[in-house]
Amino acid sequence: MLSSVGKSIAALILACAIIAAVVLALGASPGGVFAALYEGAFGSWYAAADTLVKATPLVFTGLAVSIAFSGALWNIGADGQLIAGAIAAGAIGPYLGGWPRPVALGLMLAAGAAGGAMWGGICGWLRARRDTNEVISTIMMNFVAAQVLSWVVHGPLIEASGAYPQSMPIAPSARMYMPIEPTRLNPAIVLAIVLAIGCYLLLFHTSYGFELRAMGRNRRAAAFFGIPIARLTIGILALSGALAGIGGAVQVCAITHRLYEKFSPGWGFEAIAVALVARLNPLGIIASAIFFGALDNGSQAMQRAQGVSPVLVQVIQGLVIMILLAFDTSAWTRIRAELFARGADSAARGDTGARAGA
Amino acid sequence: MLDAFLNSAIAMATPILFAALGELLVEETGVINIGIEGAMLCGAFFAMVAAYFTGSTLAGVAAGIAAGVAINAMLAFLVVNLSVSQVVAGTALDILAVGITGVFYRKFFGITGMAFMVKPMARLEFGPLTRIPILGAAIFHHNPFVYLAFAVVPLIGYSLWRTRYGLILRAAGERPEAADALGLGVYRLRWHALLASGVLTGLAGAYLTLAYANTFVENISGGRGYVALAVVILGRWNPWGIAAASLLFGAAMALQFGLQALGTAVPYQLFLALPYALTLVVLAGFGGQAASPSALGEPYRRA
Amino acid sequence: MLRARDISKRFGRTLALDRVDFDAAPGEIHALVGENGAGKTTLMNIIAGRLRPDSGEVSLDGAALRSGSAAGALGAGIAAVNQSPMLFERFTWEENLALGGFGTAAFDLPAVAVQSRALADKLGFTLPPAGSTIERRSVAERVRLEVLRALSFNPRVLILDEPTGVLAPAELAPFLGLLSGLRAEGRIIVLITHKLGEALAVADRITVLRQGRVVARTTPAQTSEAALARLMIGEIAPEPTAPAPPMGIGETALSIENLSLDRDGHRALDGVSLVLRHGEIAGVAGVDGNGQTELVELLAGARSAQSGRVIVADASAASPLGAIAVIPENRDLDGLVLDMTIWENLLLAGAIRDRLAPRGWLRRGGAIEYCRVLLERFHIRAPGPDALASALSGGNRQRLEVARAVASAPRVIVAHNICRGLDLAGTADVHRVLAEFAAAGGAVLLVSSDLDELLELSARLFVMSRGRMRETGQGDRDPSRLGMLMAGNWE
Repeated sequence: MLSSVGKSIAALILACAIIAAVVLALGASPGGVFAALYEGAFGSWYAAADTLVKATPLVFTGLAVSIAFSGALWNIGADGQLIAGAIAAGAIGPYLGGWPRPVALGLMLAAGAAGGAMWGGICGWLRARRDTNEVISTIMMNFVAAQVLSWVVHGPLIEASGAYPQSMPIAPSARMYMPIEPTRLNPAIVLAIVLAIGCYLLLFHTSYGFELRAMGRNRRAAAFFGIPIARLTIGILALSGALAGIGGAVQVCAITHRLYEKFSPGWGFEAIAVALVARLNPLGIIASAIFFGALDNGSQAMQRAQGVSPVLVQVIQGLVIMILLAFDTSAWTRIRAELFARGADSAARGDTGARAGA
Repeated sequence: MLDAFLNSAIAMATPILFAALGELLVEETGVINIGIEGAMLCGAFFAMVAAYFTGSTLAGVAAGIAAGVAINAMLAFLVVNLSVSQVVAGTALDILAVGITGVFYRKFFGITGMAFMVKPMARLEFGPLTRIPILGAAIFHHNPFVYLAFAVVPLIGYSLWRTRYGLILRAAGERPEAADALGLGVYRLRWHALLASGVLTGLAGAYLTLAYANTFVENISGGRGYVALAVVILGRWNPWGIAAASLLFGAAMALQFGLQALGTAVPYQLFLALPYALTLVVLAGFGGQAASPSALGEPYRRA
Repeated sequence: MLRARDISKRFGRTLALDRVDFDAAPGEIHALVGENGAGKTTLMNIIAGRLRPDSGEVSLDGAALRSGSAAGALGAGIAAVNQSPMLFERFTWEENLALGGFGTAAFDLPAVAVQSRALADKLGFTLPPAGSTIERRSVAERVRLEVLRALSFNPRVLILDEPTGVLAPAELAPFLGLLSGLRAEGRIIVLITHKLGEALAVADRITVLRQGRVVARTTPAQTSEAALARLMIGEIAPEPTAPAPPMGIGETALSIENLSLDRDGHRALDGVSLVLRHGEIAGVAGVDGNGQTELVELLAGARSAQSGRVIVADASAASPLGAIAVIPENRDLDGLVLDMTIWENLLLAGAIRDRLAPRGWLRRGGAIEYCRVLLERFHIRAPGPDALASALSGGNRQRLEVARAVASAPRVIVAHNICRGLDLAGTADVHRVLAEFAAAGGAVLLVSSDLDELLELSARLFVMSRGRMRETGQGDRDPSRLGMLMAGNWE
């Protein structure tokens, strides 16, 4: 009925309608809320730039989720993987003082990728070799990562004065270029787009990507034809983790320049909404991430203007996912047939008397 | 010391046990409910809201149950009637729950940092039994939720394995097409299990705000719902195994406070991470899905 | 009196049943015959309430049944036995029967066992050991248990869908005798089969379905096997393919030495050995469930053996199973990814993937074009290479799998129950392709439970029973002799 893109757009519209109802129940004005969201996201150049900044981590985690989901590997741990990457980058960052900037940045990103890959790869190994449900293992790793982060910012990596629970600042050479002052817009968004294109090519133009997608759609057939399921599982979750980890490193390089608790406001979960709206297509992730980044950005303005808690955007995320799932199911044909037939049934029973004589 | 630790372990096991028993029912019919965490969170929040505004703990419990059932009903519609991906639908509900509780917390209680308390639930009195060395204080000194949770264990065991209804429920999770061919009604059975589980998970959430913390804080469920999923696997889909596994995790959580009190040099984050890391380690060792209901997690659509 | 009136059912674009009228009377065995895909199973599912028809109505003794309600049908006294048994694998047989007609609201498994034994004795069945689960039971035992479960409902109507397909030839006569006994009790028996000999032997009336429509209603006295066959396919049956004269038997293509494989604690393959040479088609006969699936999975590389060796031509360190292409029995589960496009399904074969994606980079345009050529060459009716595999009919899916196997240029093709579910035209097509492959120098291992197919195509014949394999001699190519061998009587 509706095309892929059409479904995503329709889902967003339906979600907005439900949100309007929720907002009314909260005693606020739906019009006011949407206006504030828009103002906060795109109302000025600074706002628009910041929307892109807020979208950046969503591209990385969104790519992580869509790669894994394409292989039917349910990676709910992008948050933990992002944090693991951030910790790795934040740990070496302070010591990169002497290096030329491109090299320092490269090392930061590599550290991020390595940290995330390890975090994801562990769960991949657990699934491949110990048959451990990856939903549970990745979620558990989220909690463990949060505690590791808490430990390092209170302990080993704590900044010099020891007064605040945050890590030492990274060396200036490890910081991302900031071409467009005074906004926070930086080249990381370009890196994100490049990686998205790379993921797209991987997924649809390589045999590795084919094997991944075949495994995702029909594991049995893939195994039957000798596709190495175990090796792929570990590799994909490691790759997925690496993408999220790079996202974490980017946040450290470009925005925060150090580590602190509650580093991720839930990007790993939001990434699921981002990935589904993009239909798991890496190219679509860019637009989808910008949309959700806009929501995140606008939510602060919404709080100021309408007194609605910013976590309303999470209600939007949850609703969007559920609506898209509902749109995609082919159960509607059956449900329609059932409702139809029930009508036919009662009609038939009405003239059974006439028929029996025939 | 030991009796306080054991008491704590049993108390902390309670919400996990409630949730895991509910999840057992659901998984026996072939559905995996990742949204259990969200149901618990909503149960906790709405239990507190009702108790706070009515002053009645009972109203709180009822509200908590209703919230848990409502979340599970949403999941039921999606995964049973629409046969969508169970994992993704469950995750969506978890995200939704965080949003709903956050938004309504702000609405009811504003942005002040003040913690809104409800009066703590009284513990049951057992008189002389409490004086039994160690075990007395450990076992006979809890609020009613705790005893209810452990009482449900044999109840679920009996229902699932010694009644016809239990056999039919398990048939739905073993081979749904065959169950429907016999007219058992897989959709109906899965709805029943999800609604019953909603009651139990709602109770788990209500326990957290009405008996354990006596207030609501952001993310009060703290991953206990997910731990319950692991507990079902560890307990090998058996109510007694689940009770034992819940106690194990309760003990790990109780250990946090015990060891912190000892004041060792080990960072406290290690203890906070302990239950989750323990889940991983135990799943790695014993977490095979081989003992699970055959059709677990597979979307099913009747012909 | 069972009456189905004006039944129509559509699946997507296919009209499975087109205004079908069917009735069956008490004390009769009514055979419903037709090719695979004619709509027989669909009709059964509708009568048994498992499927909702798009239009039409089913009634028993004048009372209309609620459509789409299996519980309603069972309550009215209609029980059905499926083509592949639908039992609960991990439950015990007592629990399975408790879910049948012997179960009561009070949960009492011993009482169920007692009633089951009584019924089984009456029918001459032996029951598995007390408390054993279905998992290890043989296919024949499962059929018996499912028949038992159906009869436990004491049904007015018993529908059986191809029940003899998994029975060894020796078990056939007793089974048909059982049906006659049930008929004498005044029940309505509907026997769905594509085996015309059986239908003529035991039925009182015969209804012929072709492509979803009733094309004939007759009795055994008024017809013959040849006439029925003609009605079933609508024209003169195509000449069975004579095995083309081989190009000469060449070198060894496949050598299996003393292969043993354990699975779930029992020995699925027990010292299996065989040698297959280029240019020949060898058949492996046997009732399903005697190790064939494990053998095929092993040759596909999806399973490993405990001991023994498999040597395939062109084997190397990179591809230890060499140039072997396997066509699995479970078309939709193991052979295709239905949610992917047709051209992507071709890529499942490693050899094709290597060719179309050298060094890992996939050229989509080239792949799609390759697919288009293949679809034409093998006469596969499809909307286009870009269509989803799920858009293909069963017969065309099978043609696609065969095409893929041949196109991957293997030395050996292993085909498992390759014509199951195919109509005569599709079967002839597939057989022809395999014969041509062998004539051009390839080697074919045809694993099948269909004796006609095996006798027609294979030059050499092996028999598998309980995991063991034995080559047959020239004198063994007689169906009744083969039947004994398949049942395990190897003297």
